[in-house]
Amino acid sequence: MCSACGFPALAGHWSDAGVSSPGDKMRIRFTRLAIVNRLLKPYRLAAHDDGATPGFQLLAPDGARVMVKNLEELWKEAGRIAGTAVDPLSARALGDE
Amino acid sequence: MIVNEAAETPVDNLLLTNAAHADVLAGGCACCDGREAFVALLRTICGMRDAQGAGAFDQIVLETSGLADPGAIATAISGDQMLARRLIVEDVIVLVDACHGAAQLSDEALCRAQIEAADRIIITKSDEPSARDTDRLIQTLKLLNPSANIEGAEKGVPVKLPAHDDATPYPLSGSGIETVPIKPHRLDISGGGGWASFSVWLSAVLTARGNDIVRVKGVVGSPDGRLLLQSVRNVVQPPEILPEPDDTGNGFLAPAEGVIVLIGRHIDEPTLERSWQKFVMGTGS
Repeated sequence: MCSACGFPALAGHWSDAGVSSPGDKMRIRFTRLAIVNRLLKPYRLAAHDDGATPGFQLLAPDGARVMVKNLEELWKEAGRIAGTAVDPLSARALGDE
Repeated sequence: MIVNEAAETPVDNLLLTNAAHADVLAGGCACCDGREAFVALLRTICGMRDAQGAGAFDQIVLETSGLADPGAIATAISGDQMLARRLIVEDVIVLVDACHGAAQLSDEALCRAQIEAADRIIITKSDEPSARDTDRLIQTLKLLNPSANIEGAEKGVPVKLPAHDDATPYPLSGSGIETVPIKPHRLDISGGGGWASFSVWLSAVLTARGNDIVRVKGVVGSPDGRLLLQSVRNVVQPPEILPEPDDTGNGFLAPAEGVIVLIGRHIDEPTLERSWQKFVMGTGS
């Protein structure tokens, strides 16, 4: 367990497959963060990844920060804060509303 | 082979005397009441396989109770720290009784969930109803799950099914049951940065729409190689790295890299494509 953030060593979320070298892992964290933020923007949320702590920090409009350990938790928590599921196929996400 | 029965008194195991090794789990369905016992048994089996030389095998067949939701069983396996690393749900095989299938499909949500999750659908007793009724049943099954292979069998022996594509499917009404049939949808992700980008988008889609998207299949590129993606409802199997095409020998047929098939309802290809362009490629509206 990480004594700074409290998360145990992760068993590996399915989305983390296919990357084993540390360089690739780091590059991918930032590729992903950009996409996560595009998806969160219509819901007035944002995510932050400091590159060191596992998982993401989810930033709510009121300034609250929530730590989440993987993408699945991120979407669930974001849906809870936004009051509606973060759905990439919805009219809201696609800007049709 | 694991035989699971929801009732306390097992019967089916008596019919399966030829299995190499059979375990019986009675008194609880593996997808709900018997889930803990099922996971414990799988752990024991994986442990036995590790023991030196003892009972080497590369496949487990689970004969579920008739009341099982395949999606819930996949969830139970992927939710277990040990099993998630050791086992892959390879094939969901669902048997349909030709005499009663149509009635079950119209009344029972569980029956539809089983059909939707199937990779292979086997029709039994296909010679008992009229050929026309069997044709209609087949067309109904195709409507519910266009991607599954539909075969016929009688006591384990393959039989030929009638094949008239013009038969009318049975009406799918039923109160309180989702009546929109599932359809396969293709999405070309070849220009999108591979697995790292795709998995972000897909995880959001499945978290929001796990009940509508019953299967996702495809091959996606990653820094470590091509990954085989498979999901049952919102449970994604740990993706496997596929061997490179030139060193597989022969007979290995993987889908083309970069095209994903999403099987589900309430989705359409133009919306998938727009969402992909906007969020992953960062272009379009």
